[in-house]
Amino acid sequence: MTAPDDLPLQRFTIVEVNDRDVPLCLRLATSLAGKIAADLGATVLKIEPPGGDPVRRAPPYLSQGESALFQFLNTSKRSLVLDLGGAAGRDALARLLDTADVALFEEPASIAGLVRAGKATPIEIAAFPVEMNAATRPVSEFAILALGGLLHMVGEPDRKPLRLGGHQASYAAGLTAFTGLATALAARDAGHKAPAVRVSLAEVMQWVNWKAASGTEASGTSPGREGKGSEFQIMPCKDGHVAVVYTATQWPQTRALIADPRLMDSRFNTRAGRRQNVAEIYAIITPWFAGRTRSDIQKTAQAKGVPFGPIFSPAELLDTDQYVARGFLARLGAYRLPQLPVQWNGRSFAPRPAPNLPAPELGA
Amino acid sequence: MSARPLAGVRVLDFGLLTAGANTSAMLADLGADVIKIESGAYLDPFRVVGKPDDDDGWWNRSPQFRFTNRNKRGLALNLKDEDGRRVIRELAAHCDVVVENFRRGVLDRAGLGYADLKKINPRIVFAAISSQGDTGPERMNVSFGSTLDATSGIAALTGYEGEEPRISGMDVNYPDQIVSLFATGIVITAVMEARRTGGGCFLDFSQREVASFTLGEEILAASADPARARTRQGNRQDGVAQQDTYKCRDGRWIAVTLAAPDTTLEPFCASHDSAAAVAALLAKGIAAARCNDGVDLLADKALAGVTLARDDTGGLVKGLPYRLDGQGIAIERTAPDLGQHTVEVLRELLGYDDAALRRLADSGVTSTTPNVGEI
Repeated sequence: MTAPDDLPLQRFTIVEVNDRDVPLCLRLATSLAGKIAADLGATVLKIEPPGGDPVRRAPPYLSQGESALFQFLNTSKRSLVLDLGGAAGRDALARLLDTADVALFEEPASIAGLVRAGKATPIEIAAFPVEMNAATRPVSEFAILALGGLLHMVGEPDRKPLRLGGHQASYAAGLTAFTGLATALAARDAGHKAPAVRVSLAEVMQWVNWKAASGTEASGTSPGREGKGSEFQIMPCKDGHVAVVYTATQWPQTRALIADPRLMDSRFNTRAGRRQNVAEIYAIITPWFAGRTRSDIQKTAQAKGVPFGPIFSPAELLDTDQYVARGFLARLGAYRLPQLPVQWNGRSFAPRPAPNLPAPELGA
Repeated sequence: MSARPLAGVRVLDFGLLTAGANTSAMLADLGADVIKIESGAYLDPFRVVGKPDDDDGWWNRSPQFRFTNRNKRGLALNLKDEDGRRVIRELAAHCDVVVENFRRGVLDRAGLGYADLKKINPRIVFAAISSQGDTGPERMNVSFGSTLDATSGIAALTGYEGEEPRISGMDVNYPDQIVSLFATGIVITAVMEARRTGGGCFLDFSQREVASFTLGEEILAASADPARARTRQGNRQDGVAQQDTYKCRDGRWIAVTLAAPDTTLEPFCASHDSAAAVAALLAKGIAAARCNDGVDLLADKALAGVTLARDDTGGLVKGLPYRLDGQGIAIERTAPDLGQHTVEVLRELLGYDDAALRRLADSGVTSTTPNVGEI
């Protein structure tokens, strides 16, 4: 067990300001960055508006109707309700900012000027890059996936573009904001002036989707969703689905795994040839999957060094051998949830439960 | 930016492709001195998969490699040769961080694992990034990008309504892209701890766990209700009234999120060009955007923000996912040619003289050309 006084960010204090009327997708990013710091031991004080962070009421829900989204994103934090629309609330925030190391907040927020003027290093989460001058543009996480080019990449070419599951724009931005936060703490710790950090979801999505830029720059045409024309396809199998994935150098092993003589056809020997004949290759290999389970397929493929991926649902992940063996899923009361995806000298960082909504501060 | 946040930090970078090499790149962007190690016998695979031609010097022309490895110095040292391994151990004494994403056991077998390097430099922060992590029954499993879309849970929640699951595919390889965004922050945290305590650490990152971590609320909800059925729901999202992509008159798709259902949206889009439809929706306070492709992304400089940059040869490279003090990135070095800085770094850090450098070159320990047969 980890002693509570032995956590790497334990000596730091972070104020996470959730102002009212901020788009939910920004709040998820801010909350994730704060959660990572809190699980690593920082004192993270979450300022909520009267009535609480709207994420407390967002799906998915747990058995008693609590928000799983809020519980996941706010582990190990403390909470304080302040009405930042009033002078007393803003004064209270200003005092907190003077004793904190870092302040996480969302732009646009009514308190942005206040936070930027405080002694704590500001880490701001926005929807769009400053160059867009888009502070009043309506925001959704989905529209940001479209702007960043991610939607263009998933689905069939002649059907509608698809989003990835989960809150990928918000969470990738939250991970980025955490790295910015760690940078700021390291600079302060070394006695330097820490840089102010600004993360926009739209920039993070483009950064993640950099192969669209590099591919377009190199060829003049954009990569895009290939669907059934892709070398990587989803195959139905006996108990679900498997993603067929292999690198160009892994084709001989893949061919040996399926062991169908028709795959020896010389047209399939080069990557270009395989891309031209994707449908034919899949017509040959489909029956091999149909008679096997995901587990059989993964074991026999891995034995040959072929990286096929069985598809698991979130519920199935709770019982996967690898996650159980590594203790990746922490207990939280009657529930289990992923903990930080790192082990530090073999140690994991067990999260503490998210805070209940406290009563408003007197006079706030 | 005045003082670079990681000035004075030196990184021994065995990172390959995106997951490893980009973690080091993010450290370089913050001011760390990153020394990338390859060998003539084993190039970063990005040099190979991205090569535009087979002419002489092809290994130095891959756009993917150039995008990911700018701001680094490059060494080529053969780790299969004891002299190469000795040089690495000497370099480790001068480094603060190791980043590697080899298959588990590769560096241990070369005598260059954490246990070995810790003896040489107890302050070293050793970041091991792997598919499944350093422990557990699947630790030796291989994966490639979208393998982890499948095994992490992301693919199960991605797809057309009621249809089969989907992966992000080889032009995105989404799980590879997000690891460095998290791992960089943890490495910086560990460097801070090493400065404070004098002791380094072994950081074990599982890429699959990073991807599953992005579905934390779904896994938590499933633990509360194991029967909870999660199938593909297209572009819909729980708690959102209406959300989808719609085809416009000009053939372009736009993404729209509505707070209240509106059956007129689809015909509205079909009868307007995408730019006009997006403008009209935004004016009504509705979040909407065109589904940009790579051409759109390169054309829209305001949207690109700080995410793309040009190196001193004019080549397009990866920029930053965030901005610091309002600034983007300074590309101080173009991505290194194979072994470009071997001589410079071995002189500067280890004080090697001409004779020692010549011996290493003559015995093939150092090189600037690949040994193609072993790629």
